[in-house]
Amino acid sequence: MARMKFLCDAERCIECNGCVTACKNENEVPWGVNRRRVVTINDGVVGAEKSISVACMHCSDAPCMAVCPVDCFYKTADGVVLHDKDLCIGCGYCFYACPFGAPQFPQAGAFGLRGKMDKCTFCAGGPEADRTDAEFKKYGRNRLAEGKLPACAEMCSTKALLGGDGDVIADIYRERVLRRGKGSEVWGWGTAYGPGKAGAQPPAGGKS
Amino acid sequence: MLLTRKSSGQAVPQARLARGLAGVLAKTMDRRAFLKRSGVTLGAGAAAAQLPFAMIGEAQAQAAGAGKVEVKRTVCTHCSVGCAIDAVVENGVWVRQEPVFDSPLNLGAHCAKGASVREHGITHDSHRLKSPMKLEGGKWVKVTWDQAYEDISKRLLAIKKESGPDALMIIGSSKHNNEQSYLLCKWARLWGTNNTDHQARICHSTTVAGIANTWGYGAMTNSYNDEQNSKCLLFFGSNAAEAHPVSMLHTLHAKENGCKVIVADPRYTRTAAKADKYVRVRSGSDVAFLFGLLHHVFKNGWEDKKYIHDRVYGMDKVKEEVMAKYTPAAVQEVTGVPEQEMYETAKMLAENRPGFIIWAMGQTQHTNGNAIVRASAVLMLALGNVGRPGGGANIYRGHDNVQGATDIGPNPDSLPGYYGIAPGSFAHWAKVWNIDLDWLKKQYASEAMMTKPGITVSRWYDAIVEKNENIDQDPNLRAVLFWGHAPNSQSRGLDMLEAMKKLELMVVIDPYPSATAAMMAMAKKEGCYLLPAATQFECAGSVTASNRSIQWREKVIEPLFEARNDHMIMYQLAQKLGFADQLVGKRDGKQNIELVKGKGGMDEPSMESTLREVNRGVWTIGYTGQSPERLKAHMRNMHVFDVKTLRAKGGKDKETGYDLTGDYFGLPWPCFGTAEIKHPGSPNLYDTSRHVMDGGGNFRANFGVEKDGVNLLAEDGSHSKGAEITTGYPEFDHVLVKKLGWWDDLTEAEKAAAEGKNWKTDLSGGIQRVVMKHGCHPFGNAKARAVVWNFPDGIPLHREPLYSPKPELVAKWPTHADQKVRWRLPVLFKSVQDKAVADKAHEKFPLILTSGRLVEFEGGGEETRSNPWLAELMQDNFVELNPKTAADRGIRHGEFVWVSTPSGAKIKVKALVTERVGADHVFIPFHFSGWWQGQDMLGYYPEGAAPIVRGEAVNTATTYGYDIVTMMQETKTTLCQVAKA
Amino acid sequence: MRRAALGAAILAAFFLSGCGEAPQVTVYKQGKYQGKPDTQPWSNAPLAYGDATWNKGDRASWETQINKRAMGQNEDNRIYRQ
Ligand code: SF4
Ligand code: SF4
Ligand code: SF4
Repeated sequence: MARMKFLCDAERCIECNGCVTACKNENEVPWGVNRRRVVTINDGVVGAEKSISVACMHCSDAPCMAVCPVDCFYKTADGVVLHDKDLCIGCGYCFYACPFGAPQFPQAGAFGLRGKMDKCTFCAGGPEADRTDAEFKKYGRNRLAEGKLPACAEMCSTKALLGGDGDVIADIYRERVLRRGKGSEVWGWGTAYGPGKAGAQPPAGGKS
Repeated sequence: MLLTRKSSGQAVPQARLARGLAGVLAKTMDRRAFLKRSGVTLGAGAAAAQLPFAMIGEAQAQAAGAGKVEVKRTVCTHCSVGCAIDAVVENGVWVRQEPVFDSPLNLGAHCAKGASVREHGITHDSHRLKSPMKLEGGKWVKVTWDQAYEDISKRLLAIKKESGPDALMIIGSSKHNNEQSYLLCKWARLWGTNNTDHQARICHSTTVAGIANTWGYGAMTNSYNDEQNSKCLLFFGSNAAEAHPVSMLHTLHAKENGCKVIVADPRYTRTAAKADKYVRVRSGSDVAFLFGLLHHVFKNGWEDKKYIHDRVYGMDKVKEEVMAKYTPAAVQEVTGVPEQEMYETAKMLAENRPGFIIWAMGQTQHTNGNAIVRASAVLMLALGNVGRPGGGANIYRGHDNVQGATDIGPNPDSLPGYYGIAPGSFAHWAKVWNIDLDWLKKQYASEAMMTKPGITVSRWYDAIVEKNENIDQDPNLRAVLFWGHAPNSQSRGLDMLEAMKKLELMVVIDPYPSATAAMMAMAKKEGCYLLPAATQFECAGSVTASNRSIQWREKVIEPLFEARNDHMIMYQLAQKLGFADQLVGKRDGKQNIELVKGKGGMDEPSMESTLREVNRGVWTIGYTGQSPERLKAHMRNMHVFDVKTLRAKGGKDKETGYDLTGDYFGLPWPCFGTAEIKHPGSPNLYDTSRHVMDGGGNFRANFGVEKDGVNLLAEDGSHSKGAEITTGYPEFDHVLVKKLGWWDDLTEAEKAAAEGKNWKTDLSGGIQRVVMKHGCHPFGNAKARAVVWNFPDGIPLHREPLYSPKPELVAKWPTHADQKVRWRLPVLFKSVQDKAVADKAHEKFPLILTSGRLVEFEGGGEETRSNPWLAELMQDNFVELNPKTAADRGIRHGEFVWVSTPSGAKIKVKALVTERVGADHVFIPFHFSGWWQGQDMLGYYPEGAAPIVRGEAVNTATTYGYDIVTMMQETKTTLCQVAKA
Repeated sequence: MRRAALGAAILAAFFLSGCGEAPQVTVYKQGKYQGKPDTQPWSNAPLAYGDATWNKGDRASWETQINKRAMGQNEDNRIYRQ
């Protein structure tokens, strides 16, 4: 059964902000609200710079859900953490609970259509009827309901950012890690599968 | 690249991210940092804050019925990677954009720019130029198209009458599609001048001239994709991760398969962060670095001797010079790189073959750019890397169609297809264009001016103010058409503004008013018109990616507001100026280019028939086989093309039944012969491992058959696969074809057309067809030239930048002598360099100033800085300062500073303190405009059309300096001082 | 179209994913997501354009579509197997 997850490959991410812009475009997120950000550590430090793209991680045991005083969050059957803006009171508690700083609040005074908390929906809209104007205006696009995956992951310039069923993207990532023999340590897979070999051959059916 | 980015300021011990992801995040990205990053600083975007949420929801899309929703396949307009995009259009409104996973070039991927292109279709709060405007009493006032055409044509015709056609310069665009570039090239000639140019001048002109003179064609030898077949990539002068982000998909994939990635650059770029090896080099020391590597190659006998013997001329002379002048000590003195590091880099290149050298503006934009690129070519030739899969010179072009515009667009020294402006070329093109050659000659001031290369875009403003007796044409420039070009991409902004004050007529034709408009309003009270052009999403046409693949864009939406397509504007202006019939080749009851109904039912040239005219004329570089039908079939069937080879394994186009088997994606030029003979295109140039009808080839015979008694043709046995002539051979003409006894392979019709012609001028394509049937290359089979004897420095030579930080090196490696006239203008070298030394510029301005790209913006940046999704990501221009540089000056991260240069300019930017640059360099990105030495130019833009983000243009402050061969400007190495604001 | 009721089998699978320990995921409440109304993605029909296909209301076919779509993010698939 599909359980939606993101995975960002720090060996690949080049901080191009393609994912960030894809999200802006697909969901028409207003200026100042960022459902996704790219974080660079050791910026400009030789041998140590790494970038990674972060949004709501759609946690299995989501702290935001736990702390929300009005219980506006819910988790869908495919593992996406969504919230109901009609219930949200914009208190910001979830923002403090979230380890990734995912919840976003439009700047003061702009309690317009999306004046309450806004965050990544895994491109799955919200409680409003799917693929309607009302849903789009409040929560953005519902790509899952179109049989598609998050815009950010689908458009990533180096395919660093993967988004979809956790099992499937883990497979994609595993194939890559085995080939290059690097990156598995991030996920503890070095222990699970043994270190990969650099330049290992692609799987059967491959050609040069 | 946000200023709020965190930097630890010190290297962490482990190079790799070996901790759990969550741990890293928890540690380095506290919430406050995230909050700061989320753009609460609204600064620039007060208007953008009220952006709309919704266009038209899916509910309506479905209610409106499936018939109204169309998916149009187009191509990103922001760089030369050529990423395909599916645009979803509902009732004529562009509502969505979807990735095209099938594209073999980008596999659905996009950088920030490509992921944001739909913004072009949003009309709410658009920052585009919405109607024609005119500068009147210092204010922008709206005028009708008819009025604007009337005024402009009157002024132009009056200027022509008084001063001749050379008083006008037409600055075209690398963002025009192929057909429009081609039409504009023709347009300038029909007006009667060679004063026409476009971005390639300030982008890769040195590459084109240097590389074409080395081995034949001045283009990327292979493709981004082919890097997957490579063992070593040396990025020298390219920051691909920011400038060509999606190319990194191929680069990183190659790296993961064991290919070594080396980045040599003054900055530790994003690309460097992904490299196996990083070498910090002093900006402007490029030839010394490349020949320093070559020194180790020769010293250790790593050169490919057989390859050099068979396919390279002059390597022995280069070797002598390299061994004598570029010793490790000399190289360290010039570049700052120690011997051991040079040795290791050379060894990595030698041990991992085939490999690429990859460059962009980092090599080209120097006063000795032509020598730098040739040194790169020589290094690859010595290693035997060129002309094979997985190896060569991957020259990354900039704009989406800068390759195409260079090939067939408005150039001051050539007609479409690099036919030099010689009488024979004019005769060839007059015939193709279906115009009267004598009429064309009369359009020019004289036949002498017809064959004299025009003024270059890097120096158009000098042609306004230079003393008349010093310029090599009768009048000074009095009028300029700025047709899709930014002024802030040319150096010496202060001088440009002064020249604008004297300019009589400026016409800006652009979807965005561009900084040109604001500068003109600052300089003058009248004499400027703005015409709103459509974007490439508002018209159809073909576009040539960096790898020479040509893609066809479908029109996504109708031109918004009052905008019109560039080709419609060309036609309408031509009507006013009296050469509309010639533009479409209408004569003697024949018309080459059909007119179709465009916006508002008005006539415009059809892009398909324009491409067919290109197909009929551009034999030199094989733009002949790419018929619109073939290109469109490729776009519909992207999935059949292999990613590593770009070749179609099979497949038939459903719509036309066209068999795609064997074609390379986008029929990368040269695609010789007519479309009917189905040449598949050439994915890798000069590749002898393939038959010429399989896209194979060899180096071009363009420089004679021998030089001082030395054979210039390829040695025996070196030829493309299956060639019937197994020795070197010259280019083909009717005489050679007859001598070989192949003449009777031509049909009677072909014979009639080919008689007296050569492979470049035979309009039937018969010579090319027959020659290729015999496995030979129409342009001959020769050696590459390591020594380009017709250039000032036949063997590339390191020469210090005009503004060098080290006077002792200036004494050892001085620049050229001043030149009385090049490209119609005098150009200074030695006098500027000597003056800088005498003035002690290196003491007053102790830091090297270099400039470059950001991923969020493109070129001059007006278009991308008008897009809120991109603008939000980078809201201020900045200067990267090493922590030492900053500390020495009491500057803190995020503060405003003044950067001053020897040009007398001072620009105000924010300080970004980072180890990315060394303590002797500073870096400023070049995409900003809209501030002038500390002052916001908002008031000078037409209302509602100023970009959201404005900032200081680095080129306001850049200094004098041009390449001697091509007039490429120096923007990568000058001097500056930084002080707290 | 609001969401349709879910089968017990799906619920069971959710519980099982806790592998015998206390459930670590928020449990889907019958009829509503924690009391919030929402539709399941698969209860929609595929769009009229594009190449996404599944049977309306059939979760398994929707997941097949989603997983097929995920191959767009796998360049190895495009490079080696297509
Ligand atoms: S999944 Fe959708 S909403 Fe979430 S960051 Fe990606 S594009 Fe934005
Ligand atoms: S699009 Fe991909 S590579 Fe670019 S910043 Fe996002 S995750 Fe990184
Ligand atoms: S700017 Fe270049 S890399 Fe980015 S999406 Fe456009 S074509 Fe692709």
